[in-house]
Amino acid sequence: MKLGLVIDLDVCVGCHGCAVSCKQWNTSGTTGPLTDYRPYGEDPSGVWFNRIRSYEVGEYPRNKTINFPMSCMHCEQADCVDVCPTGASYKRKEDGVVLIDQDKCMGCNYCSWACPYGARELDRSSGTMKKCTLCIDRIYDERLDEYDRQPSCVITCPAHARHFGDFDDPESKVSQLVRERGGYTLMPELGYNPTNRYLPPRVTRLIPTDDVSKKSLISSVKEWVNKAITR
Amino acid sequence: MHPAFSVIFFTVASGAGYGLFILMALAYLLGFVDFDKGSILTGGLLSLALISAGLLSSTLHLANPKNAWRAFFRFKTSWLAREGVFAVLFYPVALLFLLGVWVNTDKPDYNGLVAVLGLAALALALATLFSTGMIYGCLKTIRQWNTALTPTNYILLGLATGSILFVLVLVLNAKPVIPIASLSVALIILAAISKAIYYIWIATVTGPTINTATGFTRAQVRLLDTGHTAGTFLTQEFSYFAPARLRLMLRVVVFVAGFFLPVFCVGLLALGLKGSWLAVLAILAAFAGITAERWLFFAEARHVIRLYHGAQHT
Amino acid sequence: MSALPEFERRGQQEVKATTCYMCACRCGIHVTVEDNQVRYIQGNRDHPINKGVLCAKGNAGIMKQNSPAKLNSPLLRKPGTARGAGEFEAITMAEALDILEARLRKIRETDPLKLAYFTGRDQMQALTGFWASQFGTLNWAAHGGFCSVNMAAGGLYTMGHAFWEFGDPDWERTKYFMLWGVADDHASNPIKIGLEKLKRNGGKFIGINPARTGYQAIADEWVAIKPGTDAMLALSMLHVLLKNDQFDWEFLIRYTNAAQLVVHTPHQVGHGLFLRDAEGKTLVWDMKLEASTDASRPSITPALFFEGEVHGKPVKSVMTLIAEAYLDEQYAPENASRICGVPAEQIERLALEMAHVAFKESIEIEVPEGWTDWAGRKHYKFIGRPVSMHAMRGISAHSNGFQTCRAIHFLQIMLGTIDVPGGHLAKPPYPKHIPPAIKPAKDCAPNTPLKGPPLGFPTGPEDLVMDANGKAKRIDKAYSWDAPMSNHGLMHMVITNAVKGDPYKIDTLMMFMANMAWNSTMNTAEIQDMLREQEADGEYKIPFIVVSDAFHSEMVNFADLIIPDTTYLERWDTISMLDRPISEPHAACDSIRQPVIKPERDVLSWQEVQIELAGRLGFPAFTNPDGSRKYQGYKDFIINWQREPGIGFLAGWRLDENGNEVHLRGKPNPKQWERYVEHGAFFEMHLPESIRYYRHANKDYLEFAKHAAWVGSTNQIVIELYSEAQQRFKLAGQGLYEGPMPTEAHHKERLSTYFNPLPFYYKPLEQCRIDEEEYPFYAVNQRPMFMYHSWDSQNAWLRQICAQNFLYMNRQRGTEMGIPDEAWCWVESHHGKIRVQVKLVEACQYDTVWTWNAIAKQKGSWGLDEKANESNDGFLMNHLISELLPVKQDALDNVTNSDPITGQAAWYDLKVKVYLAAEGETGTWPIFPVIKALPNAKPSPDVLRYQAHTAVNLQRPLQDVLQRGSVHDQQWGQED
Repeated sequence: MKLGLVIDLDVCVGCHGCAVSCKQWNTSGTTGPLTDYRPYGEDPSGVWFNRIRSYEVGEYPRNKTINFPMSCMHCEQADCVDVCPTGASYKRKEDGVVLIDQDKCMGCNYCSWACPYGARELDRSSGTMKKCTLCIDRIYDERLDEYDRQPSCVITCPAHARHFGDFDDPESKVSQLVRERGGYTLMPELGYNPTNRYLPPRVTRLIPTDDVSKKSLISSVKEWVNKAITR
Repeated sequence: MHPAFSVIFFTVASGAGYGLFILMALAYLLGFVDFDKGSILTGGLLSLALISAGLLSSTLHLANPKNAWRAFFRFKTSWLAREGVFAVLFYPVALLFLLGVWVNTDKPDYNGLVAVLGLAALALALATLFSTGMIYGCLKTIRQWNTALTPTNYILLGLATGSILFVLVLVLNAKPVIPIASLSVALIILAAISKAIYYIWIATVTGPTINTATGFTRAQVRLLDTGHTAGTFLTQEFSYFAPARLRLMLRVVVFVAGFFLPVFCVGLLALGLKGSWLAVLAILAAFAGITAERWLFFAEARHVIRLYHGAQHT
Repeated sequence: MSALPEFERRGQQEVKATTCYMCACRCGIHVTVEDNQVRYIQGNRDHPINKGVLCAKGNAGIMKQNSPAKLNSPLLRKPGTARGAGEFEAITMAEALDILEARLRKIRETDPLKLAYFTGRDQMQALTGFWASQFGTLNWAAHGGFCSVNMAAGGLYTMGHAFWEFGDPDWERTKYFMLWGVADDHASNPIKIGLEKLKRNGGKFIGINPARTGYQAIADEWVAIKPGTDAMLALSMLHVLLKNDQFDWEFLIRYTNAAQLVVHTPHQVGHGLFLRDAEGKTLVWDMKLEASTDASRPSITPALFFEGEVHGKPVKSVMTLIAEAYLDEQYAPENASRICGVPAEQIERLALEMAHVAFKESIEIEVPEGWTDWAGRKHYKFIGRPVSMHAMRGISAHSNGFQTCRAIHFLQIMLGTIDVPGGHLAKPPYPKHIPPAIKPAKDCAPNTPLKGPPLGFPTGPEDLVMDANGKAKRIDKAYSWDAPMSNHGLMHMVITNAVKGDPYKIDTLMMFMANMAWNSTMNTAEIQDMLREQEADGEYKIPFIVVSDAFHSEMVNFADLIIPDTTYLERWDTISMLDRPISEPHAACDSIRQPVIKPERDVLSWQEVQIELAGRLGFPAFTNPDGSRKYQGYKDFIINWQREPGIGFLAGWRLDENGNEVHLRGKPNPKQWERYVEHGAFFEMHLPESIRYYRHANKDYLEFAKHAAWVGSTNQIVIELYSEAQQRFKLAGQGLYEGPMPTEAHHKERLSTYFNPLPFYYKPLEQCRIDEEEYPFYAVNQRPMFMYHSWDSQNAWLRQICAQNFLYMNRQRGTEMGIPDEAWCWVESHHGKIRVQVKLVEACQYDTVWTWNAIAKQKGSWGLDEKANESNDGFLMNHLISELLPVKQDALDNVTNSDPITGQAAWYDLKVKVYLAAEGETGTWPIFPVIKALPNAKPSPDVLRYQAHTAVNLQRPLQDVLQRGSVHDQQWGQED
């Protein structure tokens, strides 16, 4: 299995629902808590597994705003795992999920340097690196019903811009979406081969107008002839 | 990249320590210079002191040092683990070698054993230095580091600063310095050339851009919002990039203090001029210069995550 | 697969269904609770509103529940200390209620108008309004007057429903969706769900907004319009539709008043009113009879276009008037373009695209069992015009918002898209007859309930709430000549009017969940001064202020008595169909909240406080004939109170005569709360297919709706393109009305100018009274999606996303002005100035600047440290906005800065100039004094490590660490 996410940039409205949902699930989850620093003070900050940035593409007035959620891509070539000296970082054999064993991490930050996507954040209180677990504490929990065995961010996304599944299965929803919508990876030139894919904005269809425009335009009320329509 | 003092001190100090040890062991093994127990001991202890101080300092940046002992487990893939393993292995071998030199008998077998120890320690020192370089050199996320020049520079700068220390040790022990001083001049010039090539090389912009980072490659892409008002771990760790004026100034410091002054001072010694102050000045200048070099090494490194925070290229 | 540990403490956990209240969207949630702590809040998948999803606000509920700003007990301002100084003493709830009871009793016995009771973002206006009318004061309203009354009124006076709670696009079927203005506020999750559906179905999404942010980000086409000019764009598109003969003849003739005859006698009494027969029925010209006939008759053949003389009076059909009005060259795209900034080509193309989708891509839904129209005729298909629209605050918050909203509805109606497949669908209990048949109460007397609700829908000057001299009777001057159709009141005027004693002085101001001392008021600084203003004798001009809130807001600081409310996770509550329901277009719904967390503070929900006070004060509806209390508390009241037989707050699981459970209408059921809890805290009744569309003219639906008490009659709801109510007020302004008429010149001008039976564009009022060359920028604000309609800008998680707002400016414009990115600038309006940090962006119309609203907080409020970014770098645009029109030394100086029709606060009419601050001038300005911590406040933590239970780590075996090589070895992905 190769588990990961598909993120649909055509419909992501940038609501941060996924990021906050991730925060609330995971702060009491297997690598929690997700510490917050100065939560009510100056420059509030904290550990998040998922952050949403927004970009502007093109120039006014033909610009587009793109909301861009990013979390761990669970790369096939996960350098973050290879560089870890302690073995705390690992990629699971079963499903390719990249995790950090909190009992083994020494907090050297090296893995975060090896990650091109900013997926890893140090928890200063525990001194350990933390990251998206793909909700490993949900996706195999058989006490949850099948739909709920998905990452919290996917379940919560109001625009259904996030999809979870097995990329090894060509018939899975994620594989189909990638095929149909041209799902792409970020910075492919670095060779990390991320599992997560992004769906580009759809191309808008052209709506014809010649069949509803008149050659000689009406210029006064008098040009209309009443139609006999029964009320 | 954020230049962390502990890491800068570690690489500068241990680099010089390993450099000194390598050169000294080499000189001993090749019988290149005539030097006594005192010099060996001074030099050996100095190098171990620098290495130890450096290694200790490097653990300061660990957020969870209680797990530091685990750092050797992933020798197979991690240059950081390899550095740790080599560094740790280096100690007993180096100490045995130094002990061998200290005891020093005339038995050929014994000397042969010391020579093997010396060779092994030398190899481990070199491996550690190379591993340190590769810790940075292997990161595809930072194009300024992801080059063979990175380990090359680490080794050359280690050897260059080590050679100045070697000269200093010889001067302090009132030993002949001309051969080693000459070697030192050569090494410093080599390191300077290598560093110059590096600076020229990183000036050419290559690699990922904000366009490839986002996948929007047909128009200008600009950051609208980072999604957080205050800094995060990512901005603290990766956002720092020294302003252009500071970078230029520090490069002058690198070349004047790190290379020119040491070459000048050590060169005078190589030409036969006497004066321990020359060696002291050389090493102080070199440390200042190489500290600046190391600071710049971090401060000029632009991690690709910066693209997601609005940088157009790395 | 290797076995995973048990991560959750299931034995200690309980999952309860309730309703979110992080904003006004009211999504269903499942809350997992562990040791009285929230473990997880998840969207309820069965819930009609959110269908399982949840936004950032809903997901941040844990941090609301754990906010250090929660009030811990009732507080009383310390005697001898100044109001606003923040000196309070903690008292018990019993003491607090005694104080409040005594005060209210005295007012009720003497002059009930001395109580002004206004509520903010609450969702129980049916209860608070009923309470106010039982108390006997006219001075009640909720926050609709400064929120979106223009949208509600525009829709209810046109088609009997509107946007948001009143109607939704048919997301399943629509193919073309136009989003007008800032709309990320209401219906937070439903719109996001809908937009994705639209795009998945290949529909086109047009975003009309000066800023390309929020939902507009994913629009297929962005229309960068100038704020406040949307009516011009809408009517210009209407012009194009008319020019190209693209409108739905059948729809207009059958379902609207387009063919009805209007008397055309300019400058005479009665001009512009409908021609009526002896029975008062409106008439059309029947083409077959060649005579006028009762417009409501079925099977006639009305002439859509007609001009002539009927019953001796010159008349024109409504459609003739429409064509005359909008074929006018002022609405030609090239002329409209100059006003709204949208290129003429784009206006024309958008109009024709809509016409194409409406008429060439129509939908037909077969209904095998048939549907019956209002006249009893059977039809076997629903014709759909798959064009839909949504608009909200961006259109609403202008002084021309009412007419703009009507203009948008005109486009929808012309295209035949109202309550049809793919179009705009009403949500039960809507549509209502036009307008809803409730009139505002006019009179009050001591110890006497009002004869009706304080708010209603006037249809002519005789419905206004004024004394014999034309002076306003309400403290907010709603239903006066200043704002005749102010259906939601004018909460933004209450403090100003009360302090001025205009129209009179009050004794007690009681506010619930309203931050009128900060971001919910215009002119914040001066409003704070007014709250402190004293008479010569030292008495405060507003003698007593009662505030109920759950958190330490800026308004709480100005209270004399603070009643601490519960959080949304700690109380029983109803979201009722009598109020602002959560229905979906094809399902009638309501819902409840149940407590999932036990509060460990001396707090009482405002719902309970209402019922308790009503009992203590002996309100007739709350008292038995023997004088004893009728209701034991809120839960008892909700079950047993009936508005009319069989109709109460909750529509689900009532009882029929035999004691069986029935829905919509039935006797009180003692088990009703339990039933809601069992069913996920909501009730949902799906409508059969035959009554899902054309409900304004669908007999079976209208009968069903009458049974449910949603409508008062089964008569067809005729969509009012032409608004006679508007014309009556216009005639009153012109001195041509047979009824009350204004005496002051500025009132006359106001009525005759802005009231119009057909919508039109006019320049917003503020902009007519300032030098637009001096103030070249439009300035608007909105809440970010993750805070919209939410209290929670102090939420520990949400504030990390945004703790400082910037002033966004078009990059090109900023560059031309020499303003660099992130420069500190002064922003100045006719009313005040502020210092802000500017960000240059593409996504901003060239003449507009905008910001996130309500990020800024007063120092020390909301549990925030005084160094918080919100208080030092964030800013309120409110300081630039006056609650009164710009001063011009004329009669309008003291008139509200609001829509002249509805009294809607004109937040977005603002114009400003922007210039660089001097070197070294950084940080926001003005800065307010630090609010003192409350006596029993809990300290805010420096580091927060929230977790409901200790984490169960997933261990990587040492063997795996040592054995498994690189990920490059490709060993992963292979099962053991």
